Amino acid sequence: MDHSRRVWIGLLVGLLGLAGPSAADETCQSPYIPKLTGQEDFIYIWTVGIEGLGDGSDKVVTVGVNPERSDFGKVVSSVSVGGRHEAHHGGLSDDRRHFWVGGLDDSRIYIMDLATDPARPRLVRTIEDFTEKSGGVVGPHGFYALPGRMLISALSNAADGGGRTAMVEYNNDGEYIRTIWMPEGAPYGYDARIKAELNRMLTSSFTGRNNYMRKLSELLGDAEAMKNFGNTMVVWDYHARKPLQILEVPGAPLEIRWALRPEHEYAFTSTALTSKLWGIFRKDDGTFEAVELADIGDPSKVPLPVDISLSADDRFLFVNSFLDGMVRVFDVVNPRAPKVVYERKIGPQVNMVSQSWDGKRLYFTSSLLANWDGTGGDDAQFLKAYTWDGKTLEPLFELDFRSEKLGRPHMMRFGQIDFYRGRVSEGGAGG
Amino acid sequence: MRTLVRGVLTGAGYLRQSWSLVLLASALVGAPSPVTAEDLRYELPAAGSYALPVIDRVSDYEMLGADNRRGPLLDLAAGQCAVVSFVYLSCTDARGCPLALATLRRLDRLLADRDDLADRVRLVTVSFDPERDRPPQLASLRRHMDPRADWRFVTAASPTELRPVLRDYGQDAVPLLTSNGAFLGRMRHVAKVFLIDSEGAVRNIYSSGLMDHRLLLRDLETLLLTDAATPRP
Repeated sequence: MDHSRRVWIGLLVGLLGLAGPSAADETCQSPYIPKLTGQEDFIYIWTVGIEGLGDGSDKVVTVGVNPERSDFGKVVSSVSVGGRHEAHHGGLSDDRRHFWVGGLDDSRIYIMDLATDPARPRLVRTIEDFTEKSGGVVGPHGFYALPGRMLISALSNAADGGGRTAMVEYNNDGEYIRTIWMPEGAPYGYDARIKAELNRMLTSSFTGRNNYMRKLSELLGDAEAMKNFGNTMVVWDYHARKPLQILEVPGAPLEIRWALRPEHEYAFTSTALTSKLWGIFRKDDGTFEAVELADIGDPSKVPLPVDISLSADDRFLFVNSFLDGMVRVFDVVNPRAPKVVYERKIGPQVNMVSQSWDGKRLYFTSSLLANWDGTGGDDAQFLKAYTWDGKTLEPLFELDFRSEKLGRPHMMRFGQIDFYRGRVSEGGAGG
Repeated sequence: MRTLVRGVLTGAGYLRQSWSLVLLASALVGAPSPVTAEDLRYELPAAGSYALPVIDRVSDYEMLGADNRRGPLLDLAAGQCAVVSFVYLSCTDARGCPLALATLRRLDRLLADRDDLADRVRLVTVSFDPERDRPPQLASLRRHMDPRADWRFVTAASPTELRPVLRDYGQDAVPLLTSNGAFLGRMRHVAKVFLIDSEGAVRNIYSSGLMDHRLLLRDLETLLLTDAATPRP
């Protein structure tokens, strides 16, 4: 192509204002991360250490998940961070080169290099002064990539260990930028998700360190402590980082998933304590409303909904519930009238679910919190992989994290060798 | 509309379509384009009502200009700031370099009409494909963009010279290869535009979804009209 044509094609496309759909990751991540559209080679799993099991430390475990490779279904590597810190969530940097993971107990953050050797992540930086730098924020929970930065939504504070908390921004080098405290009337935090086309961010609410570090059975019996859970979501002007609206969503709304298509101006969440699926819809006047949409299982049995995952075409919403170990698949084509179209028991307990961009593969992990996981035979710790054909889940492989002496598997992120090498694999790549 | 644009991207003959040529001609002579930026689906925050904290700091670098002369990439005086975008001319990702170029072009027009800002803002387009985007290509790009304000086009003398610049800004650019290792002519990158103040501090980074000339102008107003009144330590 001659130069003049190259320039003009570019200019034309730009002038047409075709922002198109945001470059979303495997369906549920920041819109600022390039997506892996082909077969993933690895899953990186942030894993809670168990005393007396293996080295007993929290670790990032790399599992091979490409059926074409010899390491399919096997542990490829693991990198321990030393000690147990209540490993929980993590997220990729905006260029996918690094995997940030956090500990809810002592608020340490670990940054893993994935790009140098995607099969063997390497710990390259530890942030030990998160609470000091942020002005008293505790429990770094969500890690959400912004351009050149990481937005960390937290759960608690150092002053009283309660649920008043903040979001904290770091740059990609791991340097502190700023703290944004949750607003009066909605002090709790959990997830933070952005719909860039609308310049809107949604945040949700859980509970503080005093609660999440207690044993679940003990906590459920403490009526006073059970009052200390969030019942709100906040709509923010993302660019200005200013709260605009507080929405009442009773019962600890946790994970948030914005619809992925640019024209879809809504998001979903599930409430842990009340077992409801909620929709957050943009109204004609630009404000938002929270609408209770459906029960998740039998709310009277408190199945404790946890992670959710929305397919890239905004059709299927996978909803895990921890205490009954179920995944329920809602058809959300009509987002105001979701219908359960499939359900399956994954194990005695199940927490996280991640799906490939094409929606054909789903992965489940078992652990919620060290003190909330089941006991005895109910404390199965696994990664389970399935295929999804739009109707049923079929088992692909499973890995027992206890027999592998690894720990409690939690957050998952995908990796692909070709992505870092610049090779274009089936399904294409951005460029 | 989307289908038509994909045609522009992938079909060489598509440029011969008359509507495309109308667009080209309109843009060439600076006449009002029949196609304008999408309406914003949100209200812009008021200038000065929000903070633009320092995200990072970057150094200045000697680069090669469209006039084939070497000079600093930023070269900012006190009270000035720069909007820097990294592109490559072969990019066909509608959400990537074309969007960044179009955003800067629209911003250039807005700045040209703002006496209070025009001489305080420098736009810089940096190619991260120095082997193919040489000064003559950048000069051609400059002619096509027809800047009205202060908009410079630079590249590096070599990939080696470019590397520390990209690393400093955190701009990724990975050549895409076939399974046989042949260069596809495209690069994987996250399109980013950087707002830099006169001290080399990165005050914002724009990417897909919020890469908009009106938002950039609002940030420039916030930075230049409010920062001056609040000296930083």
